Amino acid sequence: MFELIQKSRRSGLSLIVLALPITLFILLCLSSSTFTRFENLANVNSQIAALLIASLGQGLVAISGGIDLSVGAVMGLTSAILVTVDPALAVPLALAVGVVVGLVNGFGVTLFNVHPLVMSLATMTVVQGMALAVHPIPGGTVPAFLRTMAVSRFAGMPAAFFWCVGAIVFAWFLLNLSRFGLRTYAVGANPISAGRNGIAVIRHKVLCFVLCSLSAVIAGIFLSARVGAGDATMGASYSLDTVTAMALGGVQLAGGTGSVLGVVAGVLTLGLISNGMNLMGISPFLRAALTGVLLLAAIGFQRRETIGA
Amino acid sequence: MISFDKVTKRFGSNLALCEISFDCAAGSVHAVTGENGAGKSTLMNLLAGIFPADGGEIRLRGEPIAPERPSEARRLGISTIFQELTLLPNLTIAENLFLGREPMRGAMVNRRLMQERAREIMARLGSSLDVDTYCGDISLADQHLVEIAKGVSVDADVYIFDEPTAALNAPEVEKLGALLESLKAAGKLVFYVSHRLDEIFRFCDRVSVLKDGRHVETRATLSLTRDELVSLMVGRVLSQFFPARPTPAESAPVELGVRDLQVVEAGPKVSLALRAGEIVGLAGLEGQGQRSIIRALAGLHPSMAGEVTKNVAGEMKLLKLSVVETVMAGIGFVPEDRKTEGLYLPLSINQNIALGMLPRLSIWKIAPTGRNLIADLMLRMNVRSTSAGQEVGQLSGGNQQKVMIGRWLAAGINVLLLEEPTRGVDVGAKTEIYGLLRDFAHRGGAVLVVSSELLELLGLCDRILVVRQNEIVAELEGAGTSEEEVMQYALTGHAKHSQASPCLN
Repeated sequence: MFELIQKSRRSGLSLIVLALPITLFILLCLSSSTFTRFENLANVNSQIAALLIASLGQGLVAISGGIDLSVGAVMGLTSAILVTVDPALAVPLALAVGVVVGLVNGFGVTLFNVHPLVMSLATMTVVQGMALAVHPIPGGTVPAFLRTMAVSRFAGMPAAFFWCVGAIVFAWFLLNLSRFGLRTYAVGANPISAGRNGIAVIRHKVLCFVLCSLSAVIAGIFLSARVGAGDATMGASYSLDTVTAMALGGVQLAGGTGSVLGVVAGVLTLGLISNGMNLMGISPFLRAALTGVLLLAAIGFQRRETIGA
Repeated sequence: MISFDKVTKRFGSNLALCEISFDCAAGSVHAVTGENGAGKSTLMNLLAGIFPADGGEIRLRGEPIAPERPSEARRLGISTIFQELTLLPNLTIAENLFLGREPMRGAMVNRRLMQERAREIMARLGSSLDVDTYCGDISLADQHLVEIAKGVSVDADVYIFDEPTAALNAPEVEKLGALLESLKAAGKLVFYVSHRLDEIFRFCDRVSVLKDGRHVETRATLSLTRDELVSLMVGRVLSQFFPARPTPAESAPVELGVRDLQVVEAGPKVSLALRAGEIVGLAGLEGQGQRSIIRALAGLHPSMAGEVTKNVAGEMKLLKLSVVETVMAGIGFVPEDRKTEGLYLPLSINQNIALGMLPRLSIWKIAPTGRNLIADLMLRMNVRSTSAGQEVGQLSGGNQQKVMIGRWLAAGINVLLLEEPTRGVDVGAKTEIYGLLRDFAHRGGAVLVVSSELLELLGLCDRILVVRQNEIVAELEGAGTSEEEVMQYALTGHAKHSQASPCLN
């Protein structure tokens, strides 16, 4: 573990990033008798699965030097599609929509030089509007097979657990073992240098946005299936939550720094705080307020440096 | 191997290259030289696939080529070592060496093979750096070495070295020389872009001189003398490269006094005094603390202890070392990287100079445009631009540096601290900058210079302070010392004892 932290130049991991979720876990164990119950832990797992899947995508975009605020809207549109379209077509259509949103974000940022914050804010508004137009009032039924995949138990473990493991393994492979990952770190640190090393920077960044939107679609599928109904505004809080989780996990918005382990730690921190406040009966509105404070704190404490000097 | 045939390149309305034609043979080191803005980097960038030519033809072994991307140039067998580092700080040395052409095992990067081959490559350059170190964690000189290693490790027929020695010290330059020899022996063509005359004569077989985007001449280096080459580059004979040093005035008042300055915790203490009218140089190997000292005085690097006093109207005033305080006291700092630390590239020359005058005015005062002052300055400094309203980002390196210095002159400072005053500046502008500094000193200013170009310090400075491990180990007369003597102190910290010559490599 210490070796991991030493390599923080790229992973962004620090003692705090890893200690935060562990400390929270211990505190919650001590303060609430219901926390350690298997039921509650399974519940926490289900609650954070969607956030984890979306955050891993957000993390990828962040490492490549961008940010994607449209993830929440994409989740909402996915949810709307799932309950309005023929069950056989729903999933492919949602994935296709994800690809299109990712392409639009990616090309806007690279070819038209729009700042990713502005670009994804624009697509967020468009996608959110479309989602509400398709499915204005929450309700409807999610295809049964999806619901089974999201809420059943396999070998005693909640299905959410397997969704999480799948997402983590995929992201881990992508970032740490594949050529794509290495190049993502390069593009994020300095796109001009990366280009001179023969990397197709535009294609790479676009691909990161597409993967991020796809992860939002999958997060949206899981969340709708878990809830069992379609809700166009379901993902509203996720755009900021994914960014907060990433920042808590030491991923730097400037690009080039971040890790899967960090994102997981950040998601756990946010998820445990949520669950803890829930157990203690604190208002969910305060939770939202706290997320903002956490984001600021995480960004403020990040050890930033000018990359590329 | 490579022939340029009437190659032309335009940037907007600006003709960067005009019908360049010359041939280069395999198994040789071919220097491409000229003043900055002469078009040598532009020409090489065409070959490296950074941008396409607008006219003419480049032929590789008789076949016309037009690489559109760096990766395409690489495929054609052209490998480039760029002037600006292209290393990524968050990648290890091994990863940087193979970025863009990673050895694969299935869908995974074959890290073991990558590390093994990286170690081989670095060993060939005589470097024992751990290839798993992040490039952001190694010194600038080492980064340049890795950059060179990266370019050389590509199996190519043509290698382009674009100002490879800008940040290298003497020992590394030696290693580079050996490397060039081995490439030449292997029958490769090496382009060596540089305006360091020493290296051109030591390393290169032939030299092509460009001036204002035109090809002046291609000759064998053996058939040229230094003076001939310089006059080809500049278009005039340089009788004197450096301005004459006046006889030192013993009684000149101390402008800046430094006592027991500590730039590293528990490190050695540094004391020095800058007198009005003199130019003092800080010499030493890369990363020995020269930079921290000058930056501490500029208020940019934290100092642990020490006392700095500045002559304000005849009285020595104690200074707090912060940027605001030093600027207010009349100390100007010209950083090594003027593009990011010094100038506002998108603003005009006017605005850049006017901005330097602002901090010393009350915040309520209307910002001065100072047209007369600026026009006068630009004339005096011979800034080559279309107008004072031109964007500084469009100027060549030498002219940018003049604007940078001009800004402080306009602000009325009388102590000038400079880091690498002529990095990326052509021969012609260099002399002009030296002249400006001497002129500034002559009017009663005091100058402190850090430079990795020893010859520059030897030619320019009245006194040279040699820094080694954050300590001043020697104070030498600029006119009376030699390259050898300074290097001796820089390497060992003491004067030569025996007759044996010091080992520079």
